[in-house]
Amino acid sequence: MKKEIILTKEITKIYKVGDIKVNALRGINLEINEGEFVSIMGPSGSGKSTLMNILGCLDKPTSGFYYLDGINVMDLNDNQLAEIRNKKVGFVFQTFNLLPRLNIIGNVELPLIYSRREQSRARKDLINEVINSVGLAEWIKHKPGELSGGQRQRVAIARALINNPAIIMADEPTGNLDSRTGEEIMAIFQELNRSGKTIIFVTHEIEIARHSGRIIYLRDGILCGEELVKEPVDACKMLENMPKLEDKINNFSNNNSNVI
Amino acid sequence: MKRILENIKIAFNSIALNKLRSFLTMLGIIIGVGSVIAVTSIGSAAEASITENIQSVGSNVITITPGRERPFSGGSERESFREVQRESDESRTGNSRPAEEPGQGPGTGGGGFIGGVPMIEEEEEEEIVAGELYLEDVSALKEKSGLLENIAPVLTLGNLNFSYGSSSGNVSVTATSEEYPSLSGYEIDMGSFFTELDVLNATSVVVLGYDVVTDYFGKINPIGEEVKINGEKFIVMGTLKSAGYTFGMSADNSIFIPVTTAQNKLYGADTISQITAKVKSEDFMDAAIIEAKSILREQHSILPGEPNDFEISSSEQLLEMATSVTDTLVITLASIAAISLLVGGIGIMNIMFVSVTERTREIGIRKAIGAKNRDILIQFLTESTVLSLSGGTAGIGLACLITWIINTFTTLSSLITISPVIIALAFSTIIGLLFGIFPAMRAARLSPIESLRYE
Repeated sequence: MKKEIILTKEITKIYKVGDIKVNALRGINLEINEGEFVSIMGPSGSGKSTLMNILGCLDKPTSGFYYLDGINVMDLNDNQLAEIRNKKVGFVFQTFNLLPRLNIIGNVELPLIYSRREQSRARKDLINEVINSVGLAEWIKHKPGELSGGQRQRVAIARALINNPAIIMADEPTGNLDSRTGEEIMAIFQELNRSGKTIIFVTHEIEIARHSGRIIYLRDGILCGEELVKEPVDACKMLENMPKLEDKINNFSNNNSNVI
Repeated sequence: MKRILENIKIAFNSIALNKLRSFLTMLGIIIGVGSVIAVTSIGSAAEASITENIQSVGSNVITITPGRERPFSGGSERESFREVQRESDESRTGNSRPAEEPGQGPGTGGGGFIGGVPMIEEEEEEEIVAGELYLEDVSALKEKSGLLENIAPVLTLGNLNFSYGSSSGNVSVTATSEEYPSLSGYEIDMGSFFTELDVLNATSVVVLGYDVVTDYFGKINPIGEEVKINGEKFIVMGTLKSAGYTFGMSADNSIFIPVTTAQNKLYGADTISQITAKVKSEDFMDAAIIEAKSILREQHSILPGEPNDFEISSSEQLLEMATSVTDTLVITLASIAAISLLVGGIGIMNIMFVSVTERTREIGIRKAIGAKNRDILIQFLTESTVLSLSGGTAGIGLACLITWIINTFTTLSSLITISPVIIALAFSTIIGLLFGIFPAMRAARLSPIESLRYE
């Protein structure tokens, strides 16, 4: 028997833009089990980001029920929601949303500061361990502005992982990255999923969605279908087959030096 | 604790990122705190200097001056007030004082007043009529008083023409008796002060103040030299050491002659300006004043019930008056300086609002990863407090600079005491919290989703 980690019933979200009401979500019923890797797909304006924000407890639905790991999120106040965001959910954004003035350690450490856990020695080790796991050990003193897009997204993932949340949520995590870097990020997500984390992410690219186990389709604020992926794409294998841009460039420069 | 340090670190980073802006914001607090501390320390230095000046003369000195009619406005009003005052006095002390004006004036005060009239010092409500003082009054006091000593007449003649050889100018001339040096604390430099005999015989001798000697004689020994005061010949008998300033006036530019000589040759009248005397012990101040009063009333043949035609004041009263004047001045100046603290606080509030708007996205990110409203509130409150407190600390530095300048270029020796420093630091902390609370609350209430969308 699989445990439901996310359960929504008839979730709606209405935005007021001036006098006009916009029905962003009109009754979403969703069940996601622990350990699943789910992608949400839909065209622009289908409400997928709105749904993601609600699932990640950044926003509250206008009506309906939302149970996260058995907790009725509708009953929680701002502070309790903040605690859920801090401990239960790790959120990864399309635009990374790192603090530009803090170095990588500072950015990754941030959720720990708000979780009020005092364990200075263990804390340092934990931060280093998480940064290592996303492959940024050499960059710990750098600031986000000095990193590439892919590296920044790795920092964001490390930040999402630091409090060891049960669920990782990502809103178009590869949207701002080239295909190879995107594939690298997906490889990290797949590895996290294998280690037991529930992962939910939003994308509008079917190739990216095919990395997950289940694809949920959203249109005009309603779930219009879902598809189980029988053989998810293995990002590591994809990477092996993809030519490395650096290698190509190295080849060129080698050839050039030969010519001269 | 770690979180507080974290917040202070964030605050300093944010201040360092906008150095000029932060400095300009702090400037209001710097000037405010600096001037409050400087004004209070300079004020207390001025007060100490005045107190020292008065006490160098001695707090047991009394001064008797001739009566001058006090300008009162409403006659009947005054009468009724006096009447009430006397009644309340009587009810307070029994019947210690004889009625000064038996039942006169149309508006004898209603009994209902009595309780409400504030207690007023006896000296202040006493009526004085015009009168004069004479050398005979001095003799009478010398003869009859058991509590006073060093009783000296003083006749101030103001600035008179003074010449020695070819140089001439104006100096302040004071005529007095041989008792004067022991009253005033002036010390003889060369020669001697004139004697009782000089006063009796009205000899034409003069004692010169320090500046007069340096201005007119330079390196010449002035003793025995002949000088002219308003054309009259005088022989220099002695000179005084420098005495410094009291109330901005100095004895150094004064000369002293026997009172009798002054009356005969320069003044043309037999009155004097005041009588100065020492009370043998500070314990008998009140008794000595009462004694002097009764001697002078007898001497002036004032009938019981009639007002005095002279006034007696003590150096203690002078001290109180001077202290209250400087206190008022310091309070006024410090309040004006405090207004600039308030303006500085408004500047902080303004810049904190700007900072919150600029960092909306940062607030969104922090909230998205679990910062509670309280965390954001404390972060921005810490920042405004650090801003204000840094300003306060720099303000203390400014105050040190100001007092150093004052000490270097004037005779005052002001010292920054710990209490205004503590008050200023506490005050700037309060200002940081008070004016930071609204911007911080705005930041804390931002919704995470909207702040993340903010560009």
